[in-house]
Amino acid sequence: MNIAQATALALALAVAGTLFGRRAWTLYRLLRSGKPAARFDDVRARARAEATVVVGQSKLLQRLLPGLMHAAIFWGFLVLFPTIVIAMTGAVDPRSTLPWLGAQGWYALLVDVFALLVLIGVITALVIRKVQRPARFKGSHLGEADLILALIAGIVTTLLLWHASQIALRLNDYPAPWAPISESLSHVVAPAAPVLERVAVWAHVLIILSFLVYLPYSKHLHILVAAFNVYFGRTRSPGRIEPIDFERPEAEVRFGSARASDMTWKQMLDTMSCTECGRCQDVCPAYATGKALSPKLLIMAMRDQLLSGASTPIVPNAVSDDIVWDCVTCGACVRECPVGIEHIDHVIDLRRNLVMVESRFPEEAGTMLRDVDRTSNPWGKPQAERVQWAEGLGVRVLQPGERAPEVLFWVGCAPAFDERARKAAISTAKLMQMAGVDFAILGPREGCTGDPARRMGDEYTFQRLAGENVATLNGAAVKKIVTTCPHCFNTLGNEYSDFGGTYEVVHHTQFLADLVHEGKLAPMPSEQTITYHDSCYLARHNDVRAAPRELVSAVGQAIEMPRNRERTFCCGAGGARMWMEEKRGRPINQERVREAVATGAETLAVACPFCTVMLDDGMRETGAKMQVFDLATLLAEAVERRRALAT
Amino acid sequence: MSVLILTDGSDASRQALTLARRFGDPVHAVHMDAVAPFAPDSLAAILQQVADELNAAAVFAAGTDRGNEVMARLAARAGLPLAANCVAVTPGAPAALTRLRWGGSLLEEARLHSPRPLITVAPHTVSIEEGPEPIDVDVARFVEELDERDLLVRASDHVAPQDGGVSLTTAKVIVSGGRGVGSKEGFAIIEELAGLLGAAVGCSRAVTSAGWRPHSDQVGQTGTKVAPEVYIACGISGATQHMAGLKGAKRILAINSDPQAPLMLNADYTVTGDLKEVVPAITAEIRKRT
Amino acid sequence: MRISACIKRVPITGGRILLTEDARAINTQHLGFTMSPHEECGVEEAVRLIEANKGDSVVLTLGPPEAVEQLRDAMALGVDRGIHLQTDGREWDGEATATALVDAIRADEADHGRFDIIFFGNESADSGGFQVGIRVAYALGRACVTGLKKVTLQGASVRCEQEVEAGRDVYVVPLPAVLTVKEGLNLPRYPSVPGRMRARSKPVSVVTPIRPDPRLELVSLAVPAGQGRRAESLGSGAAAAPAVVELLRKAGVL
Repeated sequence: MNIAQATALALALAVAGTLFGRRAWTLYRLLRSGKPAARFDDVRARARAEATVVVGQSKLLQRLLPGLMHAAIFWGFLVLFPTIVIAMTGAVDPRSTLPWLGAQGWYALLVDVFALLVLIGVITALVIRKVQRPARFKGSHLGEADLILALIAGIVTTLLLWHASQIALRLNDYPAPWAPISESLSHVVAPAAPVLERVAVWAHVLIILSFLVYLPYSKHLHILVAAFNVYFGRTRSPGRIEPIDFERPEAEVRFGSARASDMTWKQMLDTMSCTECGRCQDVCPAYATGKALSPKLLIMAMRDQLLSGASTPIVPNAVSDDIVWDCVTCGACVRECPVGIEHIDHVIDLRRNLVMVESRFPEEAGTMLRDVDRTSNPWGKPQAERVQWAEGLGVRVLQPGERAPEVLFWVGCAPAFDERARKAAISTAKLMQMAGVDFAILGPREGCTGDPARRMGDEYTFQRLAGENVATLNGAAVKKIVTTCPHCFNTLGNEYSDFGGTYEVVHHTQFLADLVHEGKLAPMPSEQTITYHDSCYLARHNDVRAAPRELVSAVGQAIEMPRNRERTFCCGAGGARMWMEEKRGRPINQERVREAVATGAETLAVACPFCTVMLDDGMRETGAKMQVFDLATLLAEAVERRRALAT
Repeated sequence: MSVLILTDGSDASRQALTLARRFGDPVHAVHMDAVAPFAPDSLAAILQQVADELNAAAVFAAGTDRGNEVMARLAARAGLPLAANCVAVTPGAPAALTRLRWGGSLLEEARLHSPRPLITVAPHTVSIEEGPEPIDVDVARFVEELDERDLLVRASDHVAPQDGGVSLTTAKVIVSGGRGVGSKEGFAIIEELAGLLGAAVGCSRAVTSAGWRPHSDQVGQTGTKVAPEVYIACGISGATQHMAGLKGAKRILAINSDPQAPLMLNADYTVTGDLKEVVPAITAEIRKRT
Repeated sequence: MRISACIKRVPITGGRILLTEDARAINTQHLGFTMSPHEECGVEEAVRLIEANKGDSVVLTLGPPEAVEQLRDAMALGVDRGIHLQTDGREWDGEATATALVDAIRADEADHGRFDIIFFGNESADSGGFQVGIRVAYALGRACVTGLKKVTLQGASVRCEQEVEAGRDVYVVPLPAVLTVKEGLNLPRYPSVPGRMRARSKPVSVVTPIRPDPRLELVSLAVPAGQGRRAESLGSGAAAAPAVVELLRKAGVL
C-alpha cells in the first residue's frame, strides 16, 4: 500500500464526499420540508412499477433507439457499480481488488461487455443529439448533457484502459481470458502500461468523484432520485386527482401551490427527477399547436424556482398564467415520462391556488364556475331541462324513494344542454331499451359531476357538487352506472370514492360492446370506413381501448390514425378548456381533424360528447367532409340495418 | 273623477295615458320637464300637491326609468302603495291590475288596496288608443315654492357617451351575439354585418360575463331594453333575462343551431344553422345586392 | 366608514318559467338561487369602498331561512356581517319590505353608528317594483339617487353617474345617502375559497318581523302566451341568407 496514494484517495474522498454530502443534505431537507403526500400504500404495485419502469426501462424503450441507448448506459451503470470500489482499492494498491468479485471471470466479462455497450450508448446519444437533433430537446440544457456524456465516456474509457494496463502488467490475477476487450487493449497499451495504469485508475477515480460532486447540481440528479420518484408514483387510476381536506382549520388547508415551498415532497421530487429529455414536450397537444405550455419547460421552471430558494409566487414569476391554463390534462406527458413525473398534478395545484385564493383565471371560465356552482351545470341552464333530450323516448326518470334500476344511466351535462351531444344519449337509451336493460335516469336530480370545476382548480366547488351527487346516488341505492361521457366516467368511477361514493361505473362503449357480445344487440357491419378517436379520459386515464374498437369492427371497416390508443391526440376540450378560448397558435381540434382526414376514412367515430363537439367544430372550421358520430349512434344505425333486412 | 298623469310626450306616455283614461276623466297632465334639470323629488312633490288639489282618483306614469323613479318617490312621500309596470288596469276598491314580473316573462294578477292608486305602465305592452287629450296643469306656482330638500337630488352635469357607435336604444337594427359566438374575436362577423346595416352591436349577459364585450352592449333585463325595427339574435339561447330586453323589438330574427332554444320558439323569424356560416352568408348576400 | 347593502334571494330561471299548481309562485324545484344581478354589483361596490376607506359593512336581506345562503355569498365577497329578516316564505310587497328594512337599519345604526351609504339594486329581478330603495331613503330622510353606473366618494358627498339615453347624468349628494345601482357598475369579484370559508363563521343576526297584509296583493301568476311571435322559419344554414335579406328589405332597413 502506497501511503501517499492512500492519503490522496482519502483526501479526494473527503472533499468529494463533503461537497456531495452537503448538497445532498440540502436537497433532502428540502424534500422533507415539502407538503405531505400519501404515497406509502400499496407496496406491491409500487415494487412492480419499479421493476418494469426502472429496471426494465419500459417507458424509455417506447422509443427504441434512444431507449436502447439509455438502457445500455443504465444497465451498464448497474453492472459497473462495483468497479468503482475496485478502482478505488486499486488506486491505493495496484495489486489488490475487491475480494471474490474482483477475481470472478464472468464479472470481468460483464464489465468488458457493458463498458463497451456504455461507450456505444454514449456515441449513439451523441449522434442523436448532434446529428439527428430531435425537437424535444428545444429548451433543454444541451451543454450539461454533453458534459455528462463526456464524463461517462471518460469513466468507461479509463476503466478499460486501466484493466488493459493491469493485464499488461500482470499486477493481479485479473481474469484476462474473460475480458476480451481489455485483453486486446492490453497489447496496444503494453509499452505505456506502467504510467498508464496509474494515470488511468486515478483519472477513473477522479472523474467518478467529479461526477459525484456534479450530480446534485445538474439534471443528472435523476440518477439518485428517479428510481424513488417512480416508486412513489400514483398507483391508483391516473385519472384521479388527489383531494384537498377542507375540514382542517383554514390556516392548515393547502390551496394548491402558490410558492415553491407549497409543493408536496413528491412534486419536489418530480422536479429533481427531470432529465430534460423532452418526451413530454413532444406529445403535448398544446406545445404541438404553438401554445406557451411545454410540460418539460414547466417542470424545469418549477425546479429552478425550488432550487433557487426563491419565495416569490410561482405564477407569474417562474411560470406564466398562459402556461397554467394551456393544459388540457390529457396525460400524454405523464404517460411518456420515463422518470415518473406527474405533470398534471403540478398544473392542477398551480390552478388551485390561482382560482381558489387569487381568483385569477380566464374570465370566460369564471362564468362557467359561477354557473356550475349556482345551477349545478356548466351551461347555467335550469336543471329541469335535463329531461328534455329524452322527451318521447319513454325513458324512466328515477323519482326519490323509488326502487333503484339495475343500471343508472348517468347522462351528463353535455347531452342535456348541448344539442350536438344529444344524439349519443338518445342512441344509447334506445339501444338499452332494445336490449331490455333495466335502466333509469336521474333527470333534474343529476348534477354536474364537478369535473370541469376540479380540472380548473376549483376543488371547493367540486367537492360540494360531489357531496350532493353522492348523497343522491347513495340515497337511491345505486350500484351500477353507465355513462356516455368519459369525464363523468372518470370522476364517478375513480374520484367519488374519496367522498363516500363507490359504484361500478362503466363507459357506454363497454356496456354496449358487452350487449353485442351477449347477442342482445345484433348490428350488421357496413362498408363504411371508420377511424376511431380515442378520448384521453378513456384510453389513457382509464385504459379503455378495446371495447370501442369492438364496436367499430361491428359496424364498419376500421382504419387507425397514427396517434391511437394510449398515444391518442387530445381533441382540446379537457382540463376545462372546453370553456376557455384558444388565444394562440393553431386550434388543437383542427390538428386532430387533419390527422383523421388523412386516414381517408368516411366517418370519424368518437365516444365522448366533448370530442363530438370539438371535432365536429373542427370539421366545419377546416371544411372537411368527414362525418363525426358517437359509437352509440353508429351502433344504432348498424342494428337498424340488420332489422331492416329482416323485414 | 280626475286622473293625473306624469308625461314626457313619448309613446310610452301615450300608452300610459290609454290606461289612465280607464280610471276617470278628465285626465290632467304634469310634464316631466316641469323641473329642469331633472329633480325627481321635486316632481314627486308637485305631483302630490296637484293630486291633492284635484282629488285625483289615480296617478299614472310610463314605466320608464324616470317614470318609475318619480312615482316611487311620490309613493314614499305620500305613504301609498305603487304598482309598477302594469299592462292592464280595472278601477275598483281594490283596483285590479296585471303587471309584469321578471322583465315581462311572467304576468302577475294583483289587487291594489289604495285610496289613490299609483300606477306605472310598462312600455311596449299597451296599444295606444285615441281619446281626449289630457289637460296640462299649470305648475308654475308649485315650482316656485319647491322645498330646498326636494332639490337636493338633481342632475347637475352630463357625461357624453364614450364611443360614437350606434346607440342600442335608438338603433333601427341591432345585430346581437350570444354564447354561440364562441369568443371575443368571434364577434368580428357580427360587427361586420352590423357595419353594413348601420346597426348597433348587442350581446347577451353570458357574453359580458365572459368579458368578450362591455356591459354597455348588453341587452336584457339588467342591461339595455331595446326597441329596434329588427333584432337579429345570433347564437343566443334566450334566457328570460334576455327576452325581457326585447319587448319593444318589432321583429326578432333568431339564428341558432338549436331549433329548440327558447329564443327560437319566441322569435318572429328563425334560421336554423351555425351562425358562423349564416352570418357571413347574410353579409355576402347583402354585398351582392348593393 | 359604514356601508350596507340590501339583497334579495331570487331563483335562476333560465328560458322557461314553471309555476306551482296554485299559480301563486314559481316552481323552484331544481332551480339554483342567487341575489339579483344589480345587487351583486351593490355588494361589490360596498366591499371596495370599505377596502379603500376602512370601516365595516353589513348585508341585509328579507327572505326565507334559505336566504342566508345569499348573505353568506355576500360575506364571501368581503362583507363583515349579515342581518337576516326571516320570513316564512310568503311574499312581502315593496312597501312592507321597506318598512321592515328601515326598522332593522335603525336598530343597527343605533348600536353601531350611521351607514354612510346604503346600496340597493335598482329593481329586483323577480317582482321588479322599483321602489324599496327609494322608500327606505325617504323613511330615513336621506338623499336617494337611482340607476347608477358609477359611484365616487368626494369627502362628505358622493358623485353619482346615472345612465340615460344619451350618456350619463351626474348627481352630487351629501352623505348619508341611499344609492340604487345597476349591473355594469363594476365587475363583481369571484369569491376566494378562504373568503367563503370565513364567511361561514361571520355573524348573522336574525330577526323575525311580522308580515303586514300587502297593499299590492298578489292574486295569481301566469306565463304570457308569447307576444304572438310566429317563429316562421326562413330556412337553414347559409342557404337562408337570401330570405333574410328579403326580410330586411321589407322591414325598410336595407
